[in-house]
Amino acid sequence: MDYNQTFAKEVYEKVDSGDEIKVCMQCGVCGATCPLRGEMKYGPRQIWSLIRAGRRDEVLNNPDIMLCTSCYTCQVRCPRGVPIMEVMHGLAHYALAQGIVPRAETAKFGKAFWEGIYDTGRVDEAVVPIKYCLQDGLVAGLKKSLGMMDIGLALMKAKRMKPKMFIPPNIFIPGVHKIKGVKQLQRMLDKAAAIDAAKEA
Amino acid sequence: MSKKVCGYLCKGCGIGDALDLGGLKKAAGEQGVKEFKEHDVLCSPEGVAMIQADVDAGTNALLIAACSSRAKTDEFSFGNQVLVERVSLREQVVWCSAEAEDDDRQMLGEDYMRMGGVKLTKSEPPAPFQLEGEVAKAVLVVGGGISGLNAAIAAAEAGSQVYLVEKEAELGGFLRTINKLGPQTAPYRELEDNPLPALLEKVSGHANIKTFTGATVDKTEGAPGNFTISLSNGESLRAGAIIQATGWTPYDPEKLAGDLAYGSSPNIVTNVQFEQKAKEGGLGGINSIAFIQCAGSRDANHLPYCSAFCCLVSCKQAMYVKQANPEASVYVIYKDVRTPSQSEEVYREAQRQGVIFIRRDEAYPTITGSDKLSLETMDVLLNEKVSLEELDMVVLATGMKPNNPKVVEAPLVAFGEDQEAAKKLVEEAKAQTEDWSVLNLQYRQGPNLPTLKYAMPDSHFICFPYETRRTGIYTSGTVRRPMRLTQAQDDGVGAAMKAIQAIRAAEAGCAVHPRSGDESFPEFAMQRCTQCKRCTEECPFGAINEDEKANPLPNPTRCRRCGVCMGACPERIISFKNYSVDIVGSQIKAIEVPEEDEEKPRVVVLACENDALPAIDMAARLGKSWSAFVRFIPVRCLGSVNLVWIADALSSGIDGLILMGCRRGDDYQCHFIKGSELANVRMSKISETLQRLVLESDRIKVAEVGITDHDKVAGIINEFMETIDSVGPNPYKGF
Repeated sequence: MDYNQTFAKEVYEKVDSGDEIKVCMQCGVCGATCPLRGEMKYGPRQIWSLIRAGRRDEVLNNPDIMLCTSCYTCQVRCPRGVPIMEVMHGLAHYALAQGIVPRAETAKFGKAFWEGIYDTGRVDEAVVPIKYCLQDGLVAGLKKSLGMMDIGLALMKAKRMKPKMFIPPNIFIPGVHKIKGVKQLQRMLDKAAAIDAAKEA
Repeated sequence: MSKKVCGYLCKGCGIGDALDLGGLKKAAGEQGVKEFKEHDVLCSPEGVAMIQADVDAGTNALLIAACSSRAKTDEFSFGNQVLVERVSLREQVVWCSAEAEDDDRQMLGEDYMRMGGVKLTKSEPPAPFQLEGEVAKAVLVVGGGISGLNAAIAAAEAGSQVYLVEKEAELGGFLRTINKLGPQTAPYRELEDNPLPALLEKVSGHANIKTFTGATVDKTEGAPGNFTISLSNGESLRAGAIIQATGWTPYDPEKLAGDLAYGSSPNIVTNVQFEQKAKEGGLGGINSIAFIQCAGSRDANHLPYCSAFCCLVSCKQAMYVKQANPEASVYVIYKDVRTPSQSEEVYREAQRQGVIFIRRDEAYPTITGSDKLSLETMDVLLNEKVSLEELDMVVLATGMKPNNPKVVEAPLVAFGEDQEAAKKLVEEAKAQTEDWSVLNLQYRQGPNLPTLKYAMPDSHFICFPYETRRTGIYTSGTVRRPMRLTQAQDDGVGAAMKAIQAIRAAEAGCAVHPRSGDESFPEFAMQRCTQCKRCTEECPFGAINEDEKANPLPNPTRCRRCGVCMGACPERIISFKNYSVDIVGSQIKAIEVPEEDEEKPRVVVLACENDALPAIDMAARLGKSWSAFVRFIPVRCLGSVNLVWIADALSSGIDGLILMGCRRGDDYQCHFIKGSELANVRMSKISETLQRLVLESDRIKVAEVGITDHDKVAGIINEFMETIDSVGPNPYKGF
């Protein structure tokens, strides 16, 4: 394969914190330290290497860039101070913005997570799964949620999820679901998204 | 000198409880130490004051029976004219004999008292050697590159007269070809200007520096404090010490024609040629370029070593390209990036500027094309073959060779009895030795500084950088090992300090390292010399010249006081005032050997003072214990062990001997380079003699003990005691 610098330059310029990977010295501490390394094909080090080699498709279609759970271990341990976690999310975000979905379930979950925050101003253990499951339509969603029943019951047993949470979010009950001033929060988020969009354009 | 002897017994650190002091005094009394004083803590201010009062009243030979000679050195020093003999009752008797019977421990203590006593009565305080005439204090610096210039400036600023000799018509050496320096100062972001003009100004303006350009050294005669140097321009100089800073030559790229297609395209250049292009401003129009690291370095077919500067230089040169054209694709293809210390910042800066580093495997990349080049290499980090296309230029980062002739010495076995084999080995070594010279030394052992590998002058580099095996001659910069510019710069200063130190030592008549300050030196009883040449051949430092009749001509200021000559001399005519064949021989004879039926064997350990002895002390301090049948005798170096000691010991009924010294071979640790090697060769020859005496060769063992090997000491001794048990007692007991 030929080395080509076009994609590397694209990443340096357009991906959040993308130019920080320049100083990576390929030691591999990030991959060795990652709790999800077993699930990944490449791991951060090799992804940076692929970027340098110019393998755009391989990088942006790679599920690895959406596997990061934000535990920060790699970032803390990186001897060159590369904000690895930020770049991983940056790459995922950039891929989605390009219309590429490297890992569909993660993308759906992320969407549900984000919409939940946008709607209620908080992360709700009931709202996120509902939104996540129903993205595939009602029947498929019910099937999916039944498949995850044991997790739900375990969460309930541990009082991490309470039945009253299942009151649909558009019914207003004080103290449940929405934070005070969710409208203001939404205005802030809209503004941030507009700034981001302007930057990417 | 009339000797007034007094012994001092310390009762502290458990000595008073473990030993019968009356018996110890009596034993020392047999060897002439009649008067004794005791103290509870001899190293306390009161104890020291007690000794000092005696010294003030005229006592000038002290037997201090307390702790190891390596402990409390400041407390028990009373000036050069007071002989001090230390008996290590604490480390070598009390602390290491936990498992011994009380009477065995007492016998051990008494033997050490006898050995100390006889050494004290036989030693004389040394009188420092004085050169005839005035000591030359100037420093000669050969080579006017970065290291030589810095050495000259440092020596001159310290007040020395400096003679700076440069082969070329102008000073500056390799620095003259350099465009810019890589970042040198925090935050390591900017290329810096060549420091040569400022250095030249400093040198030319300095009253203490006299420069000779276009000159080489024709001849170097003499010794530290008294070198006479003849230059090719007819000048004759006197200097006290010499610094050789002759720098390096780039590896010949023609040899890379096969591996890296050098010469197949004008666009394949070396780092040196690329620097020249940069200096001439010819870097325009480069859109894509690759640097190949380790081009002919760390490669058994070319230079086997790392040249230490090429990674840094490629980072710098990559920055040249990026600065001329920020959009250029710049690749560095490496095996390992070796940018230690602050150079790491330069590596990082090159990365920040967008330089791409590709790690390759051992195989060289394949380069094809002529105008635009293609390159194919294994990318280890992607684990696949990759190619770089449309390259405007490929730079080969070649390494450095020292500007110093390679010297190969015949292996020491060549000094054996088999004259034919010896001749062959010597001839082979000679054939590999290069026949040019930088300093043209008029030394019996040849005109050049001995080298170990790769033609770099070698000495004990861990403990003594700058040192060569020729006292008073120091190497500095890239001639002694590959290094980068900043290191060569600092090296010059270090070598200058060592040179000044050597001159001061010659003036004072004492040794430079490792026996710094030692005023004793070998004296030759010439009327008994048989001109066998062993001393002149075996001296590791080439200190002894020869006249035409093969009489040794010692040069005490070249001497490091190891005693290798003393160990070599079959006639035993070489002695120091406080260390001689007779003194150690008498110590061995002072050991009381019990009758065979008592079943108390005796073993003597001749232990190197530099490494083995500290290891033994440390083992004792850490609570290790070993057989109380063992007696240690410290020696300056295993190379100073004379075979007659072995014969003396065995004929007086000693059951066995261990020689404990440093590691030998290519990665030697011997402070005197060849000492432990020589001892090993000599011992291998003695086994025939033993067999003639119907003695088992198992009775002698040479053990390598490093300074950190304290955990091995007890094991070596106990294992040897088992051997002695199995071979049985020495049949010469009681003769």
